[in-house]
Amino acid sequence: MSTVGTMKDRVAEPMKIMRRGRAALKTSLAVSALAFLASCARDAPQDTWQPAGPNAEQIDNLQRPVFYVAGVVGVIVFVAIGWAIWRYRDRGQAIPEQTHGKPVVEIVLTVIPALILLGVAIPTAGTIFKLAKTSDTEMTINVTGQQWWWEYDYPAVGSNEEQYGITAPIVTSGQLVIPENTKVLLRVTSRDVIHSYWIPKLNGKKDSVPGRVHLLRLEGAKPGIYAGQCTEFCGLSHSYMRMEAVVLSRADYDAWVANQLEAYTSPAAGTLAAEGEGVFIQQCSRCHQVNGLLNADGTPIISAPDQYIVSGVAPNLTNLMTRNTFAGASWDLLTPECREDVWKSDSVTFGAKYLKGVTTDCLNQKDLREWLRNAPLKKPMYANPENLAATGGKYRGMPALGLTEDQINSIVAYLLERK
Amino acid sequence: MTIIERPSTEVAIAGAVPVGVKPSEALGVFKRPAASSSWRDWVVTVDHKKLGIMYGVAAFVFFLIGGVEALLIRLQLIAPDGKVLNADQYNQMFTMHATTMVFLFVMPMAAAFANYFVPLQIGARDVAFPRINAFGFWCFLFGGLFLNSSWFLGGGADGGWFMYAPNSSTLFSPSHGVDFWTLGLQITGIASLTGAINLIVTILNMRAPGMKMMRMPIFTWMVLVTQFLLLFAIPVITVALFLLTFQRSFDATFFDVASGADPLLWQHLFWIFGHPEVYILILPSFGIISEVIPVFSKKPLFGYPVVAMSGAAIGFVGWGVWAHHMFASGLGPVSVTVFSMSTMAIAVPTGVKIVNWIMTMWGGKLTFAVPMLFAIGLVTQFTIGGLSGVTHAVAPSDTQQTDTYYIVAHFHYVLFGGAVFGLFAGFYYWWPKMFGRQLSESIGKWNFWLMVIGMNMTFGPMHILGLQGQPRRMFVWTEARAGEGLFNFGFWNRISSIGSFILSIGILLFIINIFYTHKMKKGALASNDPWDARTLEWMTDSPPKEHNFDVIPQINHLDEFFHRKYEQDSATHSVTQVHSADEVMAELNAHPDEHIHMPSRSYWPILLALSLPVIGYGLIYNRMLMAVGVAMVLLTMFGWAMEPATSPDEDFDPPESGDTHAKELVPHG
Repeated sequence: MSTVGTMKDRVAEPMKIMRRGRAALKTSLAVSALAFLASCARDAPQDTWQPAGPNAEQIDNLQRPVFYVAGVVGVIVFVAIGWAIWRYRDRGQAIPEQTHGKPVVEIVLTVIPALILLGVAIPTAGTIFKLAKTSDTEMTINVTGQQWWWEYDYPAVGSNEEQYGITAPIVTSGQLVIPENTKVLLRVTSRDVIHSYWIPKLNGKKDSVPGRVHLLRLEGAKPGIYAGQCTEFCGLSHSYMRMEAVVLSRADYDAWVANQLEAYTSPAAGTLAAEGEGVFIQQCSRCHQVNGLLNADGTPIISAPDQYIVSGVAPNLTNLMTRNTFAGASWDLLTPECREDVWKSDSVTFGAKYLKGVTTDCLNQKDLREWLRNAPLKKPMYANPENLAATGGKYRGMPALGLTEDQINSIVAYLLERK
Repeated sequence: MTIIERPSTEVAIAGAVPVGVKPSEALGVFKRPAASSSWRDWVVTVDHKKLGIMYGVAAFVFFLIGGVEALLIRLQLIAPDGKVLNADQYNQMFTMHATTMVFLFVMPMAAAFANYFVPLQIGARDVAFPRINAFGFWCFLFGGLFLNSSWFLGGGADGGWFMYAPNSSTLFSPSHGVDFWTLGLQITGIASLTGAINLIVTILNMRAPGMKMMRMPIFTWMVLVTQFLLLFAIPVITVALFLLTFQRSFDATFFDVASGADPLLWQHLFWIFGHPEVYILILPSFGIISEVIPVFSKKPLFGYPVVAMSGAAIGFVGWGVWAHHMFASGLGPVSVTVFSMSTMAIAVPTGVKIVNWIMTMWGGKLTFAVPMLFAIGLVTQFTIGGLSGVTHAVAPSDTQQTDTYYIVAHFHYVLFGGAVFGLFAGFYYWWPKMFGRQLSESIGKWNFWLMVIGMNMTFGPMHILGLQGQPRRMFVWTEARAGEGLFNFGFWNRISSIGSFILSIGILLFIINIFYTHKMKKGALASNDPWDARTLEWMTDSPPKEHNFDVIPQINHLDEFFHRKYEQDSATHSVTQVHSADEVMAELNAHPDEHIHMPSRSYWPILLALSLPVIGYGLIYNRMLMAVGVAMVLLTMFGWAMEPATSPDEDFDPPESGDTHAKELVPHG
């Protein structure tokens, strides 16, 4: 190999490699630098480096120094490699001493990383226990995952009832609504496969496992809307299982609770919405509960989705239009302009805008109608209808109902009043 | 070296012991096949080198299949709301991509090198159980083909390579994909397990005289650690796969929540296998570059005992970190803390290796042939992956990172930048020994640089995507929540997809290089020792003869070959060459061993392996077919047990009368 060839060859080849080596080094450094700067992205709704509540902040306070230390160690290693490549390339020097190592160097270079890691380990342990604390809970919400949406159940117990006026259970989906600066404890579980609940700006993620209840602290420091996604692979529409946490000021939260608990009012007779109520009862109410909806004989209509759906539930639509996303929070109920207005408003004006719900002008007709026409076309629910045999004929998610355009018009009108 | 004295033929016949039947008297199907130069020889071979090459070729084909799957994934994600694949196809694609790369590429490719080079490195003529070695290869091949046949029979597995219960049950995954997955991995698992036992016995028992454990080449050391990991890890996944098979095929309720099961059972079983598996993937590559860096630095490996022992330490501590894959799965804070700490602890022996590689280069005389480039590539890329690994050993920050693209970035730096770069270093380093020709250095350099650039473009941006909150395993991403400015999902997803094609071109160049070297005969004929190497595998022909060495050398040093070529002055430490490689070989081979007996070829390994997928198809489609498969297993095992020890016309060297020194290598397999 290099024992043959002229001096010039010997020097030229490594030099060429060095130039490339340095370029690679620069690229690598640039990439790591970019990874750090990623924390500065604008309007990145799921950025893990922009905490908006004390739990996420604790994680951030822990991870930033770890990233910086890792970065520094990385630079030292790269410089050492670069130096060795440049300094000790074959320039015709003698064959080096055949040394098998220097114990002192070995020990020092083992102890230093061990000490660094010890420095990381201690605050890590502290943070793990702080994030697992449940004794300071001020509000409890049951969060249940199923293919492919989240259900929120605000039980009318303890401080929920005494302090926050939740006098009857509130059941919603898609958007979790919590009061600001309140230590909320989520009781997370699942009805089918494993999902994971994650609002990056408020806390890390926690798996929702069927048969188990896991606890997750959540607290928002200021009003706003915080996006998240299911992060445990949960089947076909894993990509369309999103969620948001909405943080409201205390006054706005009281208004939200009061609205959720308001009694059902039927649409005025003779309107399109009244027609829609009939279609809804006939087509939708087998799976979707609307509290207060009555049969002709005056008995309440209780949905029985467990007969049709593997997970056994479908979203409660009583106050659909107080939320601004639907179908596993994957599509907006608001038009892009109205959405922009709500999502990007400052924390002072946010509450009022959110509480307005979805108005007729702001309704995102396109996505909602596409959904009603053929839901599995928009969001894959099951790969192949033949596969229903494996589930005893039950669907996973919402099937295509074959509604006519007239029926869809009336249902949209009816749903618009659900707030 | 297992040289066992055999009773002379006459004695055996007189004693009527079946093993001693004179080969020429053996009956019909029980005759062992004779050597030939046709393709049939590859089917019945038990030669560790031929099996190594077949492992390599098959694994490389699976690598290309897994690569195409990866490219389809990146094509789907190049733009929002991708239309290349639907959700179902995408889920199958990422499941099969990971499964293929882990079980059908990196593991068997490491097995290829281990098979080929461990006997050569320890001065043995073959492995301890040659027929089991062949059986292992065919199990891997047929298991892999069985697994991939699902593409044509209703679609691949769709539950992710981790296959979490209960999403893997028939209720949520009704196609046969998961059945092919469990049974296919079960069959390839047999390959790993038998291979592990074989290599452990080989390394412990068959080293050349004088080769103490601490004189073993470091690659052999890392292979030994890896095989122990396999020996204990494969049974765990075997149990888990059996539970899943029983759940899916026989209505068992191991993971059925309604019947009181806890789905976390699967996660624990999977990751107790899955984390040692990570070291199973990386340690052979660590071994390869620990051979390459000293050769191209003209220095022994710095801290050889430390590198060997840190490998063993990783092998131990690797069993105590599995739950770091489960920080978000609802373990209590005490367990999370313990596993967080143990994960940080394992970073220490890993860091030691990086330090030792750099220290080996330090003060050396470095040349930069392609194997060295890939080795340095491994050190740099693995460092990035290792450091990002430390950031998620910190459990709270892992709850932000797990199941996002940040993790995808991390393990591709570790497995592609680590394991795969190590394997490519191995290709270029050992190619001349295996095939007798040098791969082109200039194409190799393009190969290397395109792979480095491609991999950093593909996986680098995934750090950003993950920290921005893009989860894994999503078949689409939406513009609506992609963020704005330089750090939006769109831009970095595009860069990543473009990078994956650059990476592919780099890998294609490797294939082109082979074509260029062999088909076009452009590659220079390799000498026996083209890199001025240090270990025994270079002290024989390129490619080696079937019996590897004419003479089994006496070992007096670590890096024996180097010490035969060079002498170091004890006072001045100056090193001078005293012999050329050819002189060393000529001296060694002056008096070749007589009575070299090599294991005979056999039909039974391939036939026994072939009957396993028959059981698999039977389990999925028709229980009668299953019975046929079981019958085939029993018959082939019977044939295996009853066949004579040697083939009729060769390999048998009966002792002359009065000769009590007829030493022959007895095939145990």
